[in-house]
Amino acid sequence: MKHILLLTLSIVLGVSLLNAQTYKTRDGYLTFNPNKDQSHKDYAAASKEATAVLKVETSEVALLVPMKTFHFNNALLEEHFNENYLHTDKIPNASYKGKLIGFTKDMLEKDGTYNFTSEGQITLHGVTQAFKSPVKLEVKNKVATFYCDFPIQADKFNIDIPAVVKPKLADQTPISATIKFQL
Amino acid sequence: MKRITLFTVLCLLLGQFRAMAQDDLLGDLVKEDSAKPKQNITAGTFKSTRVINMQSVEMTGKGNLQFMISHHFGNVWENGKGWSNLANFLGLNAGVANTLLSLDYSPTTWGNVGLALTGKAQYEVWGKIKLLRQQTGERNIPITLDWFSTMHIDCSEGASPEDFVWNRMSYLHQILIARKFNDKLSLQLTPSYVHYNYTPFYDYKSSGGHQANNVFSVGVGGRYKFTSKKALTFEYSRQLNGYKDLYSSETGSMINYYPDIISLGYDWDTGGHIFQFYVSSTTAASNITQLSRNTSDFKQGNFSLGFTINRSFGVKKVVKTAP
Repeated sequence: MKHILLLTLSIVLGVSLLNAQTYKTRDGYLTFNPNKDQSHKDYAAASKEATAVLKVETSEVALLVPMKTFHFNNALLEEHFNENYLHTDKIPNASYKGKLIGFTKDMLEKDGTYNFTSEGQITLHGVTQAFKSPVKLEVKNKVATFYCDFPIQADKFNIDIPAVVKPKLADQTPISATIKFQL
Repeated sequence: MKRITLFTVLCLLLGQFRAMAQDDLLGDLVKEDSAKPKQNITAGTFKSTRVINMQSVEMTGKGNLQFMISHHFGNVWENGKGWSNLANFLGLNAGVANTLLSLDYSPTTWGNVGLALTGKAQYEVWGKIKLLRQQTGERNIPITLDWFSTMHIDCSEGASPEDFVWNRMSYLHQILIARKFNDKLSLQLTPSYVHYNYTPFYDYKSSGGHQANNVFSVGVGGRYKFTSKKALTFEYSRQLNGYKDLYSSETGSMINYYPDIISLGYDWDTGGHIFQFYVSSTTAASNITQLSRNTSDFKQGNFSLGFTINRSFGVKKVVKTAP
């Protein structure tokens, strides 16, 4: 009687776990360089503490990055980024929630490079915008790495950049994300 | 058997519930993130590495090189000079000005070294160490505490030919204690100690003048930010020895020195540079001269205009393009 009970329990739990197969990572890497001249790296910043989840069955993804984990080459700019532009004391996180369109479960099982798109909503500086971008997936040795390069336009997210600084910055800030999942 | 069926159904239901609960992927991440213990280290207590004249607890960021130009003009108005004060354009065109040019670099987040040309053939090298950082979270520290030490050397042509290098050196040691009370208000307390290796004409009992190797002073400073880029600053520093008369090492003649320094300033952060404009009851550029040998008396209205420009460069690139 007890055995049957345990068996049932393990099957049920097993099934429910399988059902909700998710992968999680804590060291997602995001980097950007807002400079007009991309070879000039003085303004570049990066965060290596983005967290992300991938739910395989539904191809859903979510990403969260605490804005204070972005560190700059120039320390003064880091202060400006936090205090004047993104107000990170009040709005600590940026996030993305969306779906991978064209992603299938088998991609994770076979080494290779795959291309598809991701569609969803990005929230930055408290403003939510629709998002669509191509994504590259590289599966190798039980590691799935998602690459996504996308532009962000500061004024769409109510980020106020002073007129003095504006001519030095690119209209569309290119951001690149590298998210690795251990399979 | 009935119980098992019931249990199975219950488990299945629970399993379903679990799966449903995990649908909000982003919500999970947010929850996880907010559950993490966070240490909030206070940044930007002051805009610049100086409040006005005195050092602030701030230092140039890690891997950054900072270039600073500081300029103290002549007195705005000197009693008895009358209209020639206007001809001097309130000190800006007086021909007497002290300039400080400095370069400093922070190899770590807690250490800073620099060198400066402080005018009249004087040089300075310094080190600044951050001992405590104001923070909240698991660990609470209410203040930021820095140690600052400068070595000053006077390379000007001296009165006596048998002048040793050793005799030309003086030092300043300061403890910088600051607290950022809120977004706008920061205050700092600074006890200082100036030491001269050699002071000529020390025999003040027979001569009537004061000359000491050790000069103590205490200063308070603060800033009030009224927009994210603009701030008002103030500073008051008092020499505790209280000397008003000292002998000049160069000529041997008596010079009046005043123990108080009052300064009022305006900080303007343009995004790339930090400009500081101020009026101050000192015309000296070096901290050591200001604290121990200030010739401006604020009671007579001896204030002078000045400005400081800061620019920092990211020398060491810390950001990688890929992980």
